[in-house]
Amino acid sequence: MSALTTNAEHKKNKKKRELTLKYWKPWSQFWNISGIVIILLALVENISVPSQEDVNNKPYQIFLIVYFLYLSFTTVWGWIFRQGHLRAYSGHFSQLNVSLGILLIVQDLLTEKFSILAQPFFVSFAQIIEQITTDHKLLWDSTVSSTVLWLVSFIVGALIGVVFGLLMGRYRQFNYWAFPYLKVIGIIPAAAWMPLTLVIFPTSYMSEIFLIAFAVWFPVAFMTIGGVQGISSEYFESAKTLGFSEWRIMWKIVIPGSLPSMFIGIFTALGLSFTMLVISEMMGAKVGLGWYINWARGVGNYTQVYAAIVIMAVLFSLIFVISNKFQTYFLRWREQNNH
Amino acid sequence: MVQLAIRNVSRTLQDNNGQPLEILKDINFQASSGEFISIIGPSGCGKTTLLRLISGLDTPEKGDVTVDGNKVTAPNVSRGYVFQHGSLFPWETIEENISSGLKALNGRNYDKELVQHYIELMGLKGFESSYPHQVSGGMAQRAALARSIVMKPKLLLLDEPMGALDAFTRADVQEVIHQVWQQTKTTMVLVTHDIDEAIYLSTRIIIMTPRPGEIKEIVTNPLDFPRNRTSTEFMDLRKIIQDKLNFY
Ligand SMILES: Nc1ncnc2c1ncn2[C@@H]1O[C@H](COP(=O)(O)OP(=O)(O)OP(=O)(O)O)[C@@H](O)[C@H]1O
Ligand SMILES: [Mg+2]
Repeated sequence: MSALTTNAEHKKNKKKRELTLKYWKPWSQFWNISGIVIILLALVENISVPSQEDVNNKPYQIFLIVYFLYLSFTTVWGWIFRQGHLRAYSGHFSQLNVSLGILLIVQDLLTEKFSILAQPFFVSFAQIIEQITTDHKLLWDSTVSSTVLWLVSFIVGALIGVVFGLLMGRYRQFNYWAFPYLKVIGIIPAAAWMPLTLVIFPTSYMSEIFLIAFAVWFPVAFMTIGGVQGISSEYFESAKTLGFSEWRIMWKIVIPGSLPSMFIGIFTALGLSFTMLVISEMMGAKVGLGWYINWARGVGNYTQVYAAIVIMAVLFSLIFVISNKFQTYFLRWREQNNH
Repeated sequence: MVQLAIRNVSRTLQDNNGQPLEILKDINFQASSGEFISIIGPSGCGKTTLLRLISGLDTPEKGDVTVDGNKVTAPNVSRGYVFQHGSLFPWETIEENISSGLKALNGRNYDKELVQHYIELMGLKGFESSYPHQVSGGMAQRAALARSIVMKPKLLLLDEPMGALDAFTRADVQEVIHQVWQQTKTTMVLVTHDIDEAIYLSTRIIIMTPRPGEIKEIVTNPLDFPRNRTSTEFMDLRKIIQDKLNFY
């Protein structure tokens, strides 16, 4: 019973320690309030300084107000409750919020207010947000179709990579026959296949899936092979003395043992897959964020290009965060190297 | 009744330069069911190699190993093996580790009470869902022991399971091994560096020479259980074995 309680306490303390390790900047009333003031200042500046450009500032102002309310809320919350995740998080990033506020003011003055950086190649953040609101339906559809395309292709590519990697890492025969081909074919940039895939595949959608999956499978397969080969032979030998079947060794030793390395491959593939997603959508597609950028370029509306870039930043960051969560969960058995 | 028989076993491996390196030379001994054999000898004399040959993880190029009259050719669940460094699966919790062999054997309907029994006996209650890196070295070693014992092997091979432990934890684990041996009557072969440990636990002690490892002598342990580490008989036996271990 006492062991149980110590274990629970231990877990709680560990959570606390992890929180202070991750969000290491201490809570500061000064920086929190500075953040709020700067965002308020950005709002006042945008309203009071007359604009040189034809722009609807409403959406930008609403954005600033929401930002302001969010910062006020977290500050008050942290000030009242004195502990917890939200306080650690908002305290840690309070200085960053101040810099972001300054950046917003500076860019607003440089572009929209004094036209030092002029349209059409440089646009204010207010212009971008306005563009996003006016194009929201098209952008939403583009985002959804890009996300679906990415997800399908990434899963296909990663699965093929994992299967090849596991087989090549585990079985010498398979490695003998497949590894030379993997090395030679995998090293080719997926983009080089594009002219061919566009004519070989019956639909452009299939060619896009192929290109993205192709960019993904190689790093995943390569890192999985290394992961399997790096598993200590003691685990395989233990498994044998415990009567594991080959299938069970694969499932209980090879897969979990290669997972850390596999995830390195997956994260490498993530960046490549985003690149390939945009490129392939720019070339053949009739939907998606890549298509939207290409189309905007065609009509010379660079604000739309910026709008798509902002959306990509949000979308890809989100995917990255989710992937990170997966990694943390699947590698929860690993010792955290806190330094 | 002879259970384990090792006849004229030799093993030669290759060193880093590809030169043949004779590790075990002409090993002969037999063990009866229920015996507790300790193997003691200087580092590098081939103790681990010998244990691996008995388990079937390795095969000798000369001679053979038989268990219950059957020649050993591959590892088998009837011969448990606890590795020198524990080798719990780091991606499984303590409980998953302990039950992993049972699950491989019986699927989901494995004997959960048996697992619970050994979790308690090994003092691992409250740490079932911890991962190996979260528990102490002694706990991890006891879990590795439990993982092999729940398989109810006929022969349990222990490669310095207490080698990396401090004196207190070491005495704990020794006690557990002794208990398990008395309760289950499993034949045990223990490799150790520790003369006291060998005397405390075993019925016979095999003393090996430096490489190439040969059996120098097999000492029968006359002491009755429970054994007292500070008794004169214990100390006398220790002195005898110490003298036999002086090779230079
Ligand atoms: N796979 C191998 N290939 C070549 N040499 C090996 C191999 N495994 C062990 N050896 C060598 O064989 C000799 C005996 O090794 P072994 O591990 O059996 O010794 P040991 O008695 O268990 O030593 P320790 O007490 O240090 O564990 C050592 O010199 C070692 O370097
Ligand atoms: Mg050894």
